[in-house]
Amino acid sequence: MSSPEQKQWRRTSPLAAIFYLGRIFEAIAKNAVQTFAPLAAFLVASEGSLATRVFLGLSVFFTITLISSVVRYWFFRYRITDDSVLIRDGVFKKTQLDIKFDRIQAINTQQNVVYRYFDLVTVKFDTAGSAKQEGHLPAVHTKLAESLKERIRHARPVADNDKSADEAQVNVRPILSLGRKDMVRIGLSSNRALIFLVLLGPLAEQLDNRVGEAIAGTRIETWLEASQMSLLAGLSLALAALAAFLLLLILASVIGAFLRYHNFQLVADEDVLRSTGGLLTRHEHSINLAKIQTLEARQNLMLRLFDRFRVRAKQASSGKPGRSKTFIIPLCTPDQLPALDKEILRDEFPDIDMQPKSAVFHAISPRYIRSRVLLGGILPVLILAGPLTALAGPPAGLLLILWVPLVLLFAWILYKKRGYHICAEGAVLRRGFLGYRTNAFLYRKVQRISITQTLLQERKNLATVRFFMASGTLKLPYVPHDLAKQLRDHVLYKVESSQLAWH
Amino acid sequence: MFENAEIQPESLPTVESVEWHPMDAKFIRRKLTESAIGLFFIVVGIAGFQAIFNVTLSDGNQHISSGWLWLVPLSLCVPLFAWPLISVPKKAYAVRDRDIIYKSGVFWRTVTAIPFNRIQHVEKSSTPLDRRFRVATLQLFTAGGTGGDLKIHGLSAKTAEKLRFFILEKIGSSVEQS
Repeated sequence: MSSPEQKQWRRTSPLAAIFYLGRIFEAIAKNAVQTFAPLAAFLVASEGSLATRVFLGLSVFFTITLISSVVRYWFFRYRITDDSVLIRDGVFKKTQLDIKFDRIQAINTQQNVVYRYFDLVTVKFDTAGSAKQEGHLPAVHTKLAESLKERIRHARPVADNDKSADEAQVNVRPILSLGRKDMVRIGLSSNRALIFLVLLGPLAEQLDNRVGEAIAGTRIETWLEASQMSLLAGLSLALAALAAFLLLLILASVIGAFLRYHNFQLVADEDVLRSTGGLLTRHEHSINLAKIQTLEARQNLMLRLFDRFRVRAKQASSGKPGRSKTFIIPLCTPDQLPALDKEILRDEFPDIDMQPKSAVFHAISPRYIRSRVLLGGILPVLILAGPLTALAGPPAGLLLILWVPLVLLFAWILYKKRGYHICAEGAVLRRGFLGYRTNAFLYRKVQRISITQTLLQERKNLATVRFFMASGTLKLPYVPHDLAKQLRDHVLYKVESSQLAWH
Repeated sequence: MFENAEIQPESLPTVESVEWHPMDAKFIRRKLTESAIGLFFIVVGIAGFQAIFNVTLSDGNQHISSGWLWLVPLSLCVPLFAWPLISVPKKAYAVRDRDIIYKSGVFWRTVTAIPFNRIQHVEKSSTPLDRRFRVATLQLFTAGGTGGDLKIHGLSAKTAEKLRFFILEKIGSSVEQS
């Protein structure tokens, strides 16, 4: 029977308004044009000095957002029953959510500085079948979050049938923790920082050559002369400013890593993997190991220099490409990778080896290079050579021929990076260009499998296998057709004979 | 007693050994009709364009000709009518106790297998033209897909319905442990 407390709709802490304020600003950032259009219209239409109008405009803007966040807090109610969390939300458009405990895959929490002072957290429920967290409880007490986690743990069937839910001991095992040096590595190896670092060298070189020519005889040169500054000094100043700007961006990336992952801890808690980290806002993310569809170890150019990996555990997507839910382990050493793989895929995949340079990987057929060069190099050249020669003269047509060796080089690199490691229960596929990506998966989690042969592949008895997982598609190109068929039959056998849930 | 008999890879059932069922014979006629309708609209469009824009300039000497537009339907004629005759015979399906297999493609030959215990739902659809020829399309959806993960075009309406029921029964009977 439900207690009177369970029947009562409750409000969260008034500090939940901060959460809604954040959400409003997030929405504003996404739809900047629509949001600021009325503000701009107000500034243009109203009378008075610019400073007064800006002050008035901003006051109106902040008052509206503040009132909106307080109103959203006021209309938010929740109720926790024996088997579910009920949420009522919305001011004009009312929503009622009924999230059953047994549907919740994981509970993620966030704790900003203010919430930390008041011992509050924002709870986000990660439910099956949705790409984004379905429900949230902003600014609730940590104790409530902990009790919810406990209830969900008991609501989930225990993986080991020999243990009853009551007997299941809370067995938290630390797996990985990251220090300050790692934060710098994360920041420097983030894609943004990588682009800046890659651009920095050639850009400086390009500028050195071109800027001098470009500004010769222009007003800038006259100005430089007038200001007694030599062209070289001016150029150096511009380069220094550019370098400072790029370094500032890299610094921002490093600061971002500190903000998101400071004091990062990864622990295994029964059948759940949990990470905590963050400087100002503490993020706690968790993933049910059984829900993981594919495991990916990435190593971009910077991570290769640091000899580190970034690991992503992907869950089922909602159907939209690129919308699979991902649990990120931002950094691990090559020594930690095998232990991490085994922790995540457990005993099911004992032969897993995700080290990209491991000897276990088999190469795909070198005919892969030929097909890439033919389709991406020779064919476009044949099509474009005629029109380009007619339009821009023979030198342009001849220049196009340089495209073929470039494609050949790219195809050769791609070929060298491709590899596969086929085991009894799962497979690891490797690919990459500047870095590496290795993807591991269990056959029993495959949704469908296809074998494709082009006419050229058919002649050479080769085929491309596609494994359609709930988190996305994995491709194994240019393998012997017989191997592809064997693999397909084996995967189908594993899927069809498995009694375990794939999600 | 718990048993765990060893399975030899050679003893696994192979997809190659299945009996393939071709698409319904009416499907080629349906595709040819579709091509004819498409071509008809192109011809009507060009004729209409010529009727409206076929103008002689005011000095009477210059004329904007659009006769070359007739090259479009002429060049499309062969591929539009030949393609169904080539592609439809390449399509076939096979149903086994635990999965469904579909092959298709002329230049890119693909064989796709979906185990029944991975199918989320099944959808049968038919356009007015499909209904005229009593054919239908069966779409099988699995998790994480972006649309119908496997579309089997050109089944007879009766077969599509029978298959839909069969698969739904199979989905219902698959039991998994958490």
